[in-house]
Amino acid sequence: MAIEQSFLLLKKQLAELNKNPVEGFSAGLLDDEDMYKWEVLIYGPPDTLFEGGFFKAHLIFPKEYPLKPPKMIFQTEIFHPNIAKDGSVCISILHEPGDDKYGYEKASERWLPVHTVETILVSVISMLADPNDESPANVDAAKIWRENPDEFKKRVAKCVRKSQDAFE
Amino acid sequence: MGNCLKAQSADDISLLRGSETQDGNDQALGPPPPYQERVAPRAPIYYPSPNVSRPANLLTEDEQVKIAKRLGLIVHLPCGVYDGCSKKGKECAICMCDFVMGESLRFLPCMHTYHKDCIDDWLMRSFTCPSCMEPVDAALLTSYETS
Repeated sequence: MAIEQSFLLLKKQLAELNKNPVEGFSAGLLDDEDMYKWEVLIYGPPDTLFEGGFFKAHLIFPKEYPLKPPKMIFQTEIFHPNIAKDGSVCISILHEPGDDKYGYEKASERWLPVHTVETILVSVISMLADPNDESPANVDAAKIWRENPDEFKKRVAKCVRKSQDAFE
Repeated sequence: MGNCLKAQSADDISLLRGSETQDGNDQALGPPPPYQERVAPRAPIYYPSPNVSRPANLLTEDEQVKIAKRLGLIVHLPCGVYDGCSKKGKECAICMCDFVMGESLRFLPCMHTYHKDCIDDWLMRSFTCPSCMEPVDAALLTSYETS
């Protein structure tokens, strides 16, 4: 039953996003045969350092979705404290659910089964505008962001330019 | 649920293979009982903490206690059947499907309603209401105290 449920839920979201696209990103399947692998294109949010960039990312859903979160991996190079060098996005809402004994994150900050492609991307877009340097996935980016804003700006601008070149 | 399903399909394949090797055997009715024996002890999978999933027989003592408590609390959450005129929402926020007459529902102390199967699976992983992020146990304790 769970496999069927995740498939139907993702299919429903795809149809909804095709019918009513959401500002800030576009989404589709990586391969029409596989409902569990999505490709999204995020437009660098206005009034942020990422403005004007086109960032491609993959969302890989587990069969247990929506009880377990998908993984999100940027395919376009992007310099950000919460995105690892391999492109994996590290935000609390994509962390596996439950209470861990170390109290690292509250259950309410972790994955919830009501999250959809849309709510995940809204969170990721807001993360681009507003990095969280408490638990960085890219330590260099976090350090530069904190200590040398001009250098951070330069590094991000380079990514934005590169991302635009890829779409010309 | 998903894990139970996967476990079963794996068994189905082993059953098929098993019967192939028995080709030519006239006593085809013989094999089933031993296979059933093998299927029966398969333990359900639990999720005692984030990124940890274990079959029941491999849980640590602490995890067993945690899961037993959780199962006990879930049993105490009110449930019912959708009667079509419930004012507490018409859709399950987990599977995004509309409630259908006669389906089993579970009511959380924060007044959010879900399909019983959908929310019970979730509560075994995280004891938090998916809609309002209210920890269910805290709410449960206060509702006991006031009643």
